[in-house]
Amino acid sequence: MNTLQQAIPLSERLAGFAALLREHGMKVGPAEQRDMLQAAIALGSLKLRTLDAAWRAIACSNARDWRQWPAVFEQYWLPHRIKGTVKVSGQTRPRRDLRSQVSQMHESMAGDSAPGANAHRASQASADQAGQADSDFNTLQRAQGGASLSVPDALHERSGQMWLPQELHALTQLARQIHQQLQPQATRRWQTHPQGRRLDLRQTLRRSVAHGGLPLAPAWQRKRTRPPQLFVLVDVSRSMESHAAFFLRVARALAQAAGARVFVFHVQLAEVTPLMKSDSATVQEKINAVTAGFGAGTRIAANLTAFARHHARAQLGRHARVWLMSDGFDTDEPAQLAQALQLLRGHGARLTWFHPTRQAPTSLAVRQSRALVERFIPLASLADLARAKPFLH
Amino acid sequence: MAAPVANPSVTASALREQLQGAGYLADEALVTSAWLAQALQRPLLLEGDAGVGKTALAAALAHSQGAQLVRLQCHEGLDLAQAAYEWNYGRQLMAIRLAEGGEQRLKESDLFSREYLLERPLLQAISSERACVLLIDEIDRADEAFEAFLLEVLSEYQITVPELGTLRARQVPQVLLTSNGTRELSDALRRRCLYHYLDYPTLAREIAIVKAALPEADTALVEEAVQFVQRLRREDLAKTPGIAETLDWVRALHRLHPQALPEDMSALLLTLGCLLKTREDRFMLTAERSRQLIEGRRSVGVAEKA
Repeated sequence: MNTLQQAIPLSERLAGFAALLREHGMKVGPAEQRDMLQAAIALGSLKLRTLDAAWRAIACSNARDWRQWPAVFEQYWLPHRIKGTVKVSGQTRPRRDLRSQVSQMHESMAGDSAPGANAHRASQASADQAGQADSDFNTLQRAQGGASLSVPDALHERSGQMWLPQELHALTQLARQIHQQLQPQATRRWQTHPQGRRLDLRQTLRRSVAHGGLPLAPAWQRKRTRPPQLFVLVDVSRSMESHAAFFLRVARALAQAAGARVFVFHVQLAEVTPLMKSDSATVQEKINAVTAGFGAGTRIAANLTAFARHHARAQLGRHARVWLMSDGFDTDEPAQLAQALQLLRGHGARLTWFHPTRQAPTSLAVRQSRALVERFIPLASLADLARAKPFLH
Repeated sequence: MAAPVANPSVTASALREQLQGAGYLADEALVTSAWLAQALQRPLLLEGDAGVGKTALAAALAHSQGAQLVRLQCHEGLDLAQAAYEWNYGRQLMAIRLAEGGEQRLKESDLFSREYLLERPLLQAISSERACVLLIDEIDRADEAFEAFLLEVLSEYQITVPELGTLRARQVPQVLLTSNGTRELSDALRRRCLYHYLDYPTLAREIAIVKAALPEADTALVEEAVQFVQRLRREDLAKTPGIAETLDWVRALHRLHPQALPEDMSALLLTLGCLLKTREDRFMLTAERSRQLIEGRRSVGVAEKA
């Protein structure tokens, strides 16, 4: 059985451990440190296994902390057990070898004549540069005999597909905050509430029974409110290949935290809300299955029309918010997009367009229907979402 | 100010044995958390899926220590009058009427005394003379305002009644809060509690639990059934079966097929209502899939692994 070594006083080692826990997002202050020390004294033994369980109960305050505890504990108290382990999220960055770069160059040359091709190139340029830089860096490292190493971006700025647990947690928190600030809409129903301004006569009479018929404790009512219905439509076409994973992550967070209905579209529209709400390991497999066959042209207008006429017809009202995540490349006739958006607006829904590029989409279809979109918001990273939060109300 | 370290009457290992005696088989981590909550006089917040034994722990703790179990079931709209105390207005009015007929004058302080106070679970636990386990069940279902009220109770073990003053606990109750995670609890509440995430039990522990609860069931049946449930939990289900569901299912199987799991899958499927509680899950678990689970095969995509 492992025991704590006493070379350094326990209180000092605990302070270092608490600092490490704080680095991992756990809320461990002086009070918790004191409790941990008291627990060690109360347990009367310095057996690591016992202390592990006791300190875990003190330092963790939610399921996320609970899950990451074993790794952090081992890292600090049993560093000799840790061998060079690598954790991966299961998703890989797109390869940027010479062959893929050449084929991409051919594609971009062929696509020059396509509408909005310039904007497309602009959106891809930064990703290409990043990929190139990575490739060069890794080649250099290998040439020097070093291990393969990647330079980590600032976590909250990274737009790629590798997600760390703390980033997922931050995304969930952000989605929750956005949901909280969505202005609730009053319904026609009333509910009992101590700060209400309308007398709840029925409840007041019921309560007066306890006072011999005297209405000493009046009950009050206020309008029942509910948050607006949120629809998230994610473009998963080929032009969105490098951004769709991020948008799907955001959509998933919104589905879980804000009860949003999520649709993916390309040449067809499909609802994936049940998959987004499920928190199982196979969910990505299922989403892939739903989106199989996607990856050709994009029909934004046709899909928006189908969305308004069939999929969300009953819920599209003035309380509805439609968040469209797309780069704006549409293979439908440009005028059709304006008609589709007009149809959405006709139901009273408000549309916000999230685009992966810094500039709003400049395709002809989008330019013609710009007035029907309430707001264009750039969204390529978690930091972008945090910056957009004040506008999403 | 430093929190007191109480001197609990039992050690952690003794507590484990006591819980086992009460029919609750807890692992070392859970016992340590429960023991530490006693020692530090802190509430213990238990989170985990429904059916993993959160509420049962409180009942077992109370039973094993001969303590009184006071349970507060939280729900939306739960208020102070239902959770802590309420004045017995009927009695007060009656006392006023009786005093009107008599010669003795009634003072206001007479009416607002403990005699006219209806004790609800929180006050019951605070004012209990004997050892007490207070279970605040499904705290995530209560409103945030109620959560804020709980802060005073959980940190100071006292309740302030404006007409009477502050009522302090005669004997600090052991408080267990449970949450299914339907709503995010406030940081203030979490910081006042020790925390334990209760996961589904391991195969060996679950077999032991079922054997302890149903000693008359055949060992082979229990092992096969628990193995099946453990594999079923790895499936993508809308509602994962908990320990209570396993117990129900083994109980049903024991009555129908006392020796082992039935060979006939259609007979097995008829009993799966004890485990699967949604239509989608029932639809997903076909006879073929059930057979695979019994045999321990795992399908990956279209391929099948032995």
